[in-house]
Amino acid sequence: MATSDRAGAWRPRWFWPSFAAPGMAWLVVLFLLPFYVVLSIAFGAVDPLFRTPVPVWNPVQWNPFQFQLLFDRIFGPDGFLGPAFVRTFAFVAAASALCLLLAYPVAYYVTRYAGRRKGLLLVALLAPFWVSYMMRMLAWVNLLESDGMINRLLVGIGVLGEPFPWLAGQPVTVTLGLVYGYIPYMVLALYAGLDRVDQRLLEAARDLGASRRRTFALVTLPLSRQAILAGLVVTALPMFGDYFTNDLLSGSPRTSMVGNLVNDAIGSPGQGGQAAALVLVMMVILAVPMLAYIRTTGQASREAGR
Amino acid sequence: MARMSRRAFLNRSAATALAVSGGVLLSACGDRDPTGAPPGAGGPQLASPENPVTWPVPADAGRIADGLAPEQGATLRVYNWSEYIYKKVVQDFEKKYKKYDVKVQVSTYGNMDEAVAKLRGGQVAFDVLFPTYDYLGKLVQGNFLRPLNHSYISNIEQVWPAFQNPWYDQGWNYSVPYTIYSTGIAWRVDKVKDDIAKLPNPYEALWDEQYRGKVGILDDYREGIGMTLLKNGITDLNTGNQDHLNLARDQLVALAKAVRPRVNTNDYIDLPESKTWITQAWSGDMVNAQYYMPKGQSADVMRYWFPEDGKGPVNSDLIVLLRTGKNPVLGHLFMNHLLDYDVAVENMSWNGYQPPQNKLDPAELVSQELLPKNLEAATVLPSYFDTGYRYLELPGEVDDRWHAAWQEFKAGA
Repeated sequence: MATSDRAGAWRPRWFWPSFAAPGMAWLVVLFLLPFYVVLSIAFGAVDPLFRTPVPVWNPVQWNPFQFQLLFDRIFGPDGFLGPAFVRTFAFVAAASALCLLLAYPVAYYVTRYAGRRKGLLLVALLAPFWVSYMMRMLAWVNLLESDGMINRLLVGIGVLGEPFPWLAGQPVTVTLGLVYGYIPYMVLALYAGLDRVDQRLLEAARDLGASRRRTFALVTLPLSRQAILAGLVVTALPMFGDYFTNDLLSGSPRTSMVGNLVNDAIGSPGQGGQAAALVLVMMVILAVPMLAYIRTTGQASREAGR
Repeated sequence: MARMSRRAFLNRSAATALAVSGGVLLSACGDRDPTGAPPGAGGPQLASPENPVTWPVPADAGRIADGLAPEQGATLRVYNWSEYIYKKVVQDFEKKYKKYDVKVQVSTYGNMDEAVAKLRGGQVAFDVLFPTYDYLGKLVQGNFLRPLNHSYISNIEQVWPAFQNPWYDQGWNYSVPYTIYSTGIAWRVDKVKDDIAKLPNPYEALWDEQYRGKVGILDDYREGIGMTLLKNGITDLNTGNQDHLNLARDQLVALAKAVRPRVNTNDYIDLPESKTWITQAWSGDMVNAQYYMPKGQSADVMRYWFPEDGKGPVNSDLIVLLRTGKNPVLGHLFMNHLLDYDVAVENMSWNGYQPPQNKLDPAELVSQELLPKNLEAATVLPSYFDTGYRYLELPGEVDDRWHAAWQEFKAGA
């Protein structure tokens, strides 16, 4: 009997991998299958009567027409989609950089100097998540009106001579909207990374005579590199797909992003295939930085394990 | 997302090309026919005012007999655009047929594609649908519709004669009219100095840089391109002429650069709230706009322009019965109810869209306070349907080129 009890510690080979099963099932049902549907639509046909996309499930019959059309529209002589792609990358780059600049000091303060208020501050940082993204953007629409609080304040203290038309198709408004919308993700990613930095390493650096500034530059910053990368990934990726920030804060073609192109195509009869192709092209483009990220994190964890 | 006007959704999908009916589309795509629609027996039919279409009524299409009693204890399933029917009008119908214990359940859709996708899924047996007229051919050819028995719909007498035998459905085999509307320009006299209606070419005001950031364009590819064509004196709003489409595209791109327009379908909110000063607008949305004026401000400042000679876009929506519906008798009676003058007016008082009722003339709209005096031009006259232009369904290939032009504008090229 005692031996069989001990044998209880022995598990069949599938036991531990089976723990991953729910996650794998989730991934298959909610990512791989929908992804295959998108592929089948992008390479598929159009219903002749109702002009709705008709997925073609058999890859042998896939038709690359939508991609040819899309590449013409991006890179061709009349490549009218090119500017929207360039604009999207510019907005996302500016917004991510601003997110990082604003979020790093906050995360740094919370991990190093907040002390007992750490929990409270974290809750405060998470608070925006309790209000829906849309509601927060709509609040900004109100604040940014010609006669809204922001303009009244800026005119009142003399920064502006007259109200600035924030909502009239301004790239700066859309960029700031993106920053506002996604900065909590950046703060959390940086917090998680900085919180793991071993305090003893910082003490060691100080003991060995490094100034505060040098300690930060030579110890804290390199150790938080992974967190910065993670933060950039979790903020920039959703920004690339964002369309409602632009819809709500501008609504003008002058600030259209790729997400808007996708959204418009989905809403137009006969254009579902273009929407799917746009999504896939975006995925391929974004896969490059994503793979680079995975590679560097892999390297980092190998180094840490050494 | 901001509330989108029903109208917008409607037109966006309406866009879907009808002029060439299924026959041509089917032949263009070989013999593949995923809809199960019968190939157009009489060859391609072109539904347009010049080419009226009588849709066939197969013997097995399920037309009901005369004089049947309403279904007892039934739930009539109505499938409609969101915010397009007044709750009170529905409740009145329930009261009217109380002894049959009738319940009406209204489900809503945001655009015709969504509606058709759900109908094709076939999970819910809807009885009544409110399509755009350019979707009618598809619905008939897809075998979705139940032919009407006119003996239940005596109130058809109350609608304009043209709608008792419309070109898109000769002999009204499948449809009755619901609402009508025009597309024009609306502006605020407290913000815009010019009298837009008096300008030699009012459409040009939308390109005027002095209104930068305060111009609204309807997010609807047919309306946007159509308006630009009209500005240039091109009146074929269903054109397949690529030169015309290129011209419209270039001018729209120039418009985006010059005035940074708001491109959405919130014309009825943006104008009263001064988010726009001048905007392309639907007549029904402007009637509704008076209720969106900020507290304490008068709606007097809004104006609507539609060409005085009636040469602008005018369109209409329909009511049809679905073949899958379980309550065809009640469906007919519901149609008849909505065509009743008092009911139709009650409905307009809520959704802003004018029903084509004989008794409802322009003077009466104002005197009944359905329309403020300053927006009298938003009235749709019967003559507009003779003089005006209609967005017909486009052949798929032409439709794609319209979309490409519009996409270029929307992408901010």
